[in-house]
Amino acid sequence: MRTKFSGILTLFLALFVQILFAQQQTVSGIVTDDTGLPLPGATVLVKGTTKGKSTNFDGEYSIQANIGQTLVFSYVGYATQEVKITSSTVNVQLKPGEQLEAVTVVAYGGAVNSAKVASAIATVDGATIEQVPINSLDQVLQGAAAGVNVSTGSGQPGQSATIIIRGRNSLQGDIEPLFVIDGVPVDQDNFRSLNQNDIESLSVLKDAAATAIYGNRGAGGVVLVTTKKGKKGSGVNIQYRTLYGVAVKPKTRFEVMNASQFLNFQKNLLPGNQFGDSLTDTQIAAIAAQTNTNWSDIFFQQGTTLSHEMSVSTGNENTSSYTSLQYFKQEGITLGSDLKRFSFRNNFNGSSNSKKFNYATNLTLNYSVSNFIVDATRGNNTGGQLDNPFIVPYIGLPYLSPYNPDGSLNIVGTQRSGALNPDGSVNASGANGFVNTAFLALNTARLNTDQESEFKAVGSISADYNFAKNLTIGGSVGIDYTNIELLQITTPGSIRGLITPNQGSEEKGSQSETFFRDANFITNAFLRYQNDITDKLNLTATVYGEYNYSNTQSAGFTAFGLNPALPGSGSGFTAGNTVEYPADSNNDGVDDPEDAVYNYIPGVASSETELALASLFGTLSLDWDGKYGLDGTIRRDQTSRFPKNSTGTFWSVAGRWNIDNEDFMSNVDFISILKLRASYGVVGNQNIGSRYQGLQTVNAGPSYQLATGYSLGTLVDEDIKWETSKQFNVGLSFGLWNNRLTGEFDYYDFLTDELFSNNKPLSLAGTGYSQVIANVGSMRNRGIDLQLSYDVLRKSESNPWSIRVHGNANYNKNVVEELPVGFTGNTLRVAEGRAAFTWNNVRWAGVDPSNGQPLYLDANGNITNVFDPANQVYLDKNFDPTYTGGFGADITYKGFTLSSLFSFVADRYRENSSLAIIEDSGLAGFANMSTSLLNAWTTPGQITDIPSLAFGGLRAVDGNRYLEDASFLRLRNVTLSYSVDPKILEKTNVLSGLRVYVQGTNLVTWTKWRGFDPESNQSTGFFDYPVPRTFSLGFDLNF
Amino acid sequence: MKKYFLIPIIVSLLFTVSCDDQLERFPVDSLVEETAYQSVNDLEAGLRGAINSINRGGGQASLLAFNSIFTDNARLGGDNGGQQLNLLNQILNSQTGDQGTWGDRYNAINNFNRVLAGASTITPSAADTDRYNNVLAQCYAFRAYLHHDLLTYYAEDLLNPSSLGVFYQNTVSTSDLPARQTVGEVLTEIENDLTLAASLMPSSSTDKNYATLDFITFLRARVALYSGDYNTAITNANTLISSYSLANQTQYAAMFNGDTDTTEVIFKFDNVQGNNASIAFNWIFTGTGGNFIEMSTELFNAFAIGDVRRSVAVDPSSDPGANPPVLTIGKYPAGADTNYINDYKAMRLSEMYLIRAEAHARKAAPDFAAAAADVNAIRTARFGSAQTTATYTSLNQAIADIKDERRLELCFEGFRYLDIKRYRNILNEGIERDAFDCQGGVPCSLPVSSEKFTFPIPQTEINANPNMVQNSGY
Repeated sequence: MRTKFSGILTLFLALFVQILFAQQQTVSGIVTDDTGLPLPGATVLVKGTTKGKSTNFDGEYSIQANIGQTLVFSYVGYATQEVKITSSTVNVQLKPGEQLEAVTVVAYGGAVNSAKVASAIATVDGATIEQVPINSLDQVLQGAAAGVNVSTGSGQPGQSATIIIRGRNSLQGDIEPLFVIDGVPVDQDNFRSLNQNDIESLSVLKDAAATAIYGNRGAGGVVLVTTKKGKKGSGVNIQYRTLYGVAVKPKTRFEVMNASQFLNFQKNLLPGNQFGDSLTDTQIAAIAAQTNTNWSDIFFQQGTTLSHEMSVSTGNENTSSYTSLQYFKQEGITLGSDLKRFSFRNNFNGSSNSKKFNYATNLTLNYSVSNFIVDATRGNNTGGQLDNPFIVPYIGLPYLSPYNPDGSLNIVGTQRSGALNPDGSVNASGANGFVNTAFLALNTARLNTDQESEFKAVGSISADYNFAKNLTIGGSVGIDYTNIELLQITTPGSIRGLITPNQGSEEKGSQSETFFRDANFITNAFLRYQNDITDKLNLTATVYGEYNYSNTQSAGFTAFGLNPALPGSGSGFTAGNTVEYPADSNNDGVDDPEDAVYNYIPGVASSETELALASLFGTLSLDWDGKYGLDGTIRRDQTSRFPKNSTGTFWSVAGRWNIDNEDFMSNVDFISILKLRASYGVVGNQNIGSRYQGLQTVNAGPSYQLATGYSLGTLVDEDIKWETSKQFNVGLSFGLWNNRLTGEFDYYDFLTDELFSNNKPLSLAGTGYSQVIANVGSMRNRGIDLQLSYDVLRKSESNPWSIRVHGNANYNKNVVEELPVGFTGNTLRVAEGRAAFTWNNVRWAGVDPSNGQPLYLDANGNITNVFDPANQVYLDKNFDPTYTGGFGADITYKGFTLSSLFSFVADRYRENSSLAIIEDSGLAGFANMSTSLLNAWTTPGQITDIPSLAFGGLRAVDGNRYLEDASFLRLRNVTLSYSVDPKILEKTNVLSGLRVYVQGTNLVTWTKWRGFDPESNQSTGFFDYPVPRTFSLGFDLNF
Repeated sequence: MKKYFLIPIIVSLLFTVSCDDQLERFPVDSLVEETAYQSVNDLEAGLRGAINSINRGGGQASLLAFNSIFTDNARLGGDNGGQQLNLLNQILNSQTGDQGTWGDRYNAINNFNRVLAGASTITPSAADTDRYNNVLAQCYAFRAYLHHDLLTYYAEDLLNPSSLGVFYQNTVSTSDLPARQTVGEVLTEIENDLTLAASLMPSSSTDKNYATLDFITFLRARVALYSGDYNTAITNANTLISSYSLANQTQYAAMFNGDTDTTEVIFKFDNVQGNNASIAFNWIFTGTGGNFIEMSTELFNAFAIGDVRRSVAVDPSSDPGANPPVLTIGKYPAGADTNYINDYKAMRLSEMYLIRAEAHARKAAPDFAAAAADVNAIRTARFGSAQTTATYTSLNQAIADIKDERRLELCFEGFRYLDIKRYRNILNEGIERDAFDCQGGVPCSLPVSSEKFTFPIPQTEINANPNMVQNSGY
């Protein structure tokens, strides 16, 4: 192989000689900046050739060229200059560019001139997300780009968000975009270990023209993450940054009763016999005077965020590097929820002297430890777990004191809460019961462990070689590797430990450890042909071969019966074959086999899945004089996921017209940029169902009598294949008045065909199954993206102010065009002719003033007092928002900068089931209630929205009573910073930059939602972990 | 120049050639159906999987839960937080009302059919023939058992062979849209399967946790009784009664507490730790033991002191004297290990006595004395001393007494609703709940004429299958 390779090299070299033999003489000179200082690392090119050199540290260059040829001098931040060679010495002074040439990062192409982009791509500058104390790079995209809808289900530090680009494009398949970091596709649901300060920019690819190159993974859009690189010729730069922040609970938009209100409510208003009924007014007053617990105060803490980061970037003539090391620690707003992390990144880029050979390595190594609470999104939780800390501010009883008599926090409970027997011993059932919720939640958070330790590495090596005129060959290898160790301990002394493995066992507690490994590999090779066919016509064509392979494994065990003296250690496990004889059923005083109980049999598990994808693809790009462009992409994917339909072909075509470059525009001064774009293409979504969705599997495992049994896996349709998205986009990019006003306007129409849905109905009697997941139905998303930026004031020599306002918005209309059985779901439906996930329920019509009875509207809109599911109607309210976006302003005055970002979501409806619980008087015997129940109907003629308590709990017959508008406007981030003048710092001889800033995140939220937080990726709010408000302070020091 | 273009071709070939076999990925953690059944061992694993897919008394589609909660055997429990309210409120509609019974049974049937399909590709060695035949016999027997369940709940009139029955599913299909067969046709199919099962069943198959020849005899008696073939019912009951004896008081208690006695058990689903269908969870929270459903006071009061069934059906932790009384259902107790592991005793000898009693009372030439003697045999065994034999003078009187005895003997074992349904036209009685048991807005009665004595065909079936006819009233 080696010899063959050198043979080929020799061949190439021979060809170079042929191409290069016409060279004539050496031209040399010096390149300086506007102040006359030499510019090292500036690029010098002979126009129309691939010949190029960089200037040395003294700004000097020398290059072989002919008199009469033109040299092109360029340097980042400076306007490019062309000089015709008239002598052997050409000295050039470059001027700072008035406008940096805007670049856009595109798939497989790196940064290209934005003017030549014909697809819909939104770029988010890394600077806007740096040091924002929201630690998941998908979350920080909220409000940052048009058409990117980001919602997070939990305030757990590092929680991944759900991102939907331009509307929900799948019903049961993956809806999120593919994330690609430096060319390596990565897990889209786990970013907690990555340092977002390493990000240079994010490119959101929104239409088929941009994503077809990702074939059957592109339908949901693609987010390209480019990390920071050192700049060639920039020398050594060292930066130290630190951040300290405090997270506090969000505003509470509901009110629960205090002790006096609650006991009086039980006594005087609530029918039946509760604790309050057993008390006299004096006793109630005495209890309320002694104990009036606001459980929010007990459960919310101030979570601190702390970050230290050191980064070094270097650059000389041919190599550059960027290295960063970060320590990051973030506590949640409740005890037991945190994230600690070390992140390391090294990016290295190098080129040969001729710049014909380039290579790069990107590597990030990360280790994080996350502690979790029993929140609504964890594992299979629903939010209703009694040890969920966020259930307590709602239902924790106010007359129970959180403290022991000695003032310490009570984490067991009291006799009144059911946790203790009259003799003071712990009652296992009562301690795990409803009334003891508050103490149970405190107990679990303090004593039990739910921890994930994650090692994550993302890396790639790539190289390309411009081996002949117009031809470049290249390749890359990359990996995304995640290893998670999950440790869950129910300690013997905890309340949950009392019933683990069960109430009757002699030893208590359990320890579960799970090892999870996800490895994704990618290899890619390409050949690119680039040629200026004529002066005006430029052609670039590339063919690629690529192979992706994913392997996911997990294994774990659960052991029971822990030795309290050896917490977390295998030495403390009770042997699995330990026999206990808790009963003596024949009373013979001897342990009989029929009474033998095995309480400590450990649970074990192991699993592995694989996925492979082999692809061939090509792109073709034509440019005519910078005025017209045509781009085409075609990709043939072969996947292991669908054995019967493994091969799919995806494609796109796109055209652009750079109107601003037309001759007839040369006199139109106020237009700097005007570009019309249009594209159409077909992309796929193969991320549907399991990795073996196309194979009818049979599961083997412990079955009847615990012997091995075979049972049919989920019934599949073996003809299953990827979903197809047909995407049309037309857009206008513009820049007016010297680009003071810039913007992008896009209209899109996406049709997902062969929708993956379990809506293919089957006859149970005939097949044993009611439905099978198959490619049925279609769904359309149509909408508008708008992105605008306006420089109100620009800094100049006479004006120290700079003010820029910017905004983006998306309007999206989703319609399910075709679904075999009309609709699926009950109150939240996917229905033909309507938006996916639209609400359908009986309409609540308030309270009958004459008798306090709940009223409803029947299907025809008439008032009725009968709740009948037959009266369900479509409410024209959808779960997915119709409008999303963000806006903000950046104001700079001398060294001060004030930047802000607001995000908004509108026309989105969610079920507020938390509120439904505290307005369900059926639970008022053992759960605190909303103060609204104090307004319950009592007397004829009373106008109120709370029915008479005589009707009991109405939660099952609420209809749409708790369907709430979850729209919000949020001050996502605001930062005030001060950068010290570099001229002052020069005197220190140490520092070259110093920036100090204060920042507020999620400071204010405007919403009608009556809970902690309207934002969620769940259709129903049920004691969610809210996103916190964070105040932070930071320093950036440059050396 | 041409040589350059070799490069992409080489690169592409390299990828496609090397990747074709890379793309054949089979699951690591599961088998693929086409190749899953290679040996009799595999078939036995399939059989276990199929039996495991039958509802074993607890959870979704539990007819034990339905028969007790829908009727007068249960009432709202002290710790109810919304559990089982639909059943207690007698909500039975085509959307969710059948609790998934239709789907659950047809799915289990489908699993047996898939094992049979797998078996058809295997030719056993001589040494394996008995085991092979046993698998086939088990599949046919359970298929008959499950179809009879369906017929009992979804057919409007089991006594009328030409009325609408259910579809008898005996092939594997992923697209069939079958119509309902008549009751008579289904009964014929059941008997065909039982005959086939009996002919294949090796004499060594006597494990009470699986189908046996006695299982087949038992099912024949039950099928015959429900469909009005009383002489067949008597013949089959005679066979079993002559070879088993009723449990005495101690044995009866041991049968329900810890499953330690099987004297009168003919077939049971063996629930074991780690694979427990948790029957008790139909009524109580197994974590803490709180009751969301309790025994009705009416049923409690029907138990006489001295009847072992009182101490078995009512958990010792109950407090009948409290206000309101606490009556924890105790037939499936927590057990020594507090794990609530209990077998579902699906076929017990006492039912044979009651079947024979009913058949004697209802046959063309009624033998009320024989009927009364069979009822008394059970009472004598349960009280541990000879009891007075009743004297029946009419069908009504006999059936009323048999109905009461069945309630005491078989409560929480999945019979109450069926009994009320089967006897309602003789006694002109629907479901009548005691006033105390229907407090809190729970319906107190269900009239004889209610359509709810037959389950609705699920709407999903009706939607998917244009050939399916809904029962009247839904």
